[in-house]
Amino acid sequence: MREVKLRSPLQFMLVGIVLLYAGGLIIAPIAAIVQGAFGKGLDGLFAALTEPDVIHAFQVTLFLSIIAALVNLVAGVVLAWVLVRHQFPGKRLLSALVDAPFIISPVIIGYVLIVLFGRQGWINIPGIQIAFALPGMLIATIIVSMPFVTREVMPVLANLGPEQEEGAYTLGANRWLTFWRIVLPEIRWSLLYGLALTFARALGEFGAVVVVGGAIQGYSESATVYVFRALNDRNKIGAYGVSIVLALLSVVLLMGMEQFKRRPKTLDVIQEEVQDVDFIGTSN
Amino acid sequence: MSILLEQVTKSYGEQGILENFSLEVNAGELFVLLGSSGSGKSTLLRIIAGLTPLESGRVLLHGNDVTDLAPQKRGIGFVFQNYSLFRHMTVGENISFALDIQHVSRRERAERVTELLELIGMAGLGDRFPSQLSGGQQQRVALARALAHQPQVLLLDEPFGALDAKIRIQLRQNLRMIQQRLKVTTILVTHDQDEAFELADRIGIIERGHLLDIGTPSELYRTPRSRFTASFLGNANLLQGQRRNGKLYVGETELSAAHGPDCHGNQSVDILLRPEEVELAQHPDQLQGQQIGRGIVQDVVFAGAAQRIAIRLLDSDEQLTTLNALLNTSDTAIQGIIPGSQVWVGFKHYHVLPQTPN
Repeated sequence: MREVKLRSPLQFMLVGIVLLYAGGLIIAPIAAIVQGAFGKGLDGLFAALTEPDVIHAFQVTLFLSIIAALVNLVAGVVLAWVLVRHQFPGKRLLSALVDAPFIISPVIIGYVLIVLFGRQGWINIPGIQIAFALPGMLIATIIVSMPFVTREVMPVLANLGPEQEEGAYTLGANRWLTFWRIVLPEIRWSLLYGLALTFARALGEFGAVVVVGGAIQGYSESATVYVFRALNDRNKIGAYGVSIVLALLSVVLLMGMEQFKRRPKTLDVIQEEVQDVDFIGTSN
Repeated sequence: MSILLEQVTKSYGEQGILENFSLEVNAGELFVLLGSSGSGKSTLLRIIAGLTPLESGRVLLHGNDVTDLAPQKRGIGFVFQNYSLFRHMTVGENISFALDIQHVSRRERAERVTELLELIGMAGLGDRFPSQLSGGQQQRVALARALAHQPQVLLLDEPFGALDAKIRIQLRQNLRMIQQRLKVTTILVTHDQDEAFELADRIGIIERGHLLDIGTPSELYRTPRSRFTASFLGNANLLQGQRRNGKLYVGETELSAAHGPDCHGNQSVDILLRPEEVELAQHPDQLQGQQIGRGIVQDVVFAGAAQRIAIRLLDSDEQLTTLNALLNTSDTAIQGIIPGSQVWVGFKHYHVLPQTPN
């Protein structure tokens, strides 16, 4: 990529604005959180993070995020496959619905789940409480983090085309083997990228889980819901401490995702370097 | 019969692609299906492979009805136009994929890969990835991969389409040699007539989902059955002739039966005159075949071993105005032939196309 050296005052101003914008929106809040978290030193932070409610909140968040990521991993690939490889009535509608969680407020998603699964809801499964419990929070988390895998995998599948799969069929591979041996290796980086995004989104979810889970302390309280309560309780160290851990997890994921994004390019670079010099060997 | 298609019909929506298409390909034969793009030739190949379902008709491979069989169970090898190599696998892994699926032992797989790499002239390159190969090498790997499981039938869909001319010629020779050695029944689909002439035992001409003509390259070139075949294969001077009282006329010029087939009845016919059958001379007595008349050279194009000459005939009626001739550059008759010069025009041989209800 070509880089332009800063020359005119206008260019300096532009870069300055970008730095201020990024600094103001990202660095300042992080600095504030770090400062707040260490208000009572490292010991204070450690004590806040080992509170039973905090540990439970992290357990809830990790449970929701891992299960939602796994469910969306499978469902996302199936959705992407169906949307790319098949023609059927209502395909465009389904494609639009996949993006719905991007545009619908998570609070509304949580509320809809209460309407569906609440005490006077449309759906009641005897013996299983969904609303104001973990199952409801899990469904909410799965919904809000649904689009990522599908949207990451779809363009790669479309670009791959059906030819390699057809090639595998003619060589005797059934559909499952073809997916496992041919398609999966091709989509693996986009799949991992989508998985990381799904996990990060699930990790930070607040609106839907607070509504459908009811924010019951020590029961249906995720890490983000705990931060909200701790702030209300003026427990700054607890709120900031949990925030830092969530932020750290996101940063690690972000760095991992950058790796996923870089990997597939290496092959293209090799391709460009190969010249179409051919030779025919004798085969006697 | 090794490959037998009976009344195969296929359409996409309203558009008919193949209509009651029947074809027989002999065991061990290299059959080339030649047609322009959109003629239905690739669809036909995909139907044989089981990759595209047909609407009606039957597909038989070596006497077995495979119409309802999945592609995995048809025992075919398929080479795709874009090769479709598995990019994340090495050349060796690509070639041994079919054997791996069949749980062939590791040792046998390795032996077969070595054997096939030698066959395609790429010994020692088994550890490369497809992205590290040139287009021609990728094409050869695709061929080796399609042959690894020793299929009964080999299908090639425009296998040289994406390669430049020089490599294409080399690979054609390579393919012909491999096919003759393995004697695998092969259908190759192409739009390139040179490719068809060079490779085919027999050629089928397909146009708009119909098989127009079938025969050896030489039969199709010399005695085509349709105007389409005549002009699709090589250059053709197509003239309108009249049969009258057992004689054949182009305009008022009577064509001697000594230079073409006998004719009966009274009707108009299409007459094919290949450019290399056209003779040019400074004097009428220098013509070996039948004389047509005088002409003026309009254009001379140098094409290496031969020269293409366009002549406008003088004193002729509307039916016979311009002819294309192809003369060897070494031919003495070419001396003095420049645009604007006058020449005597004749021909050595002509072919009367069978009458088709048109």
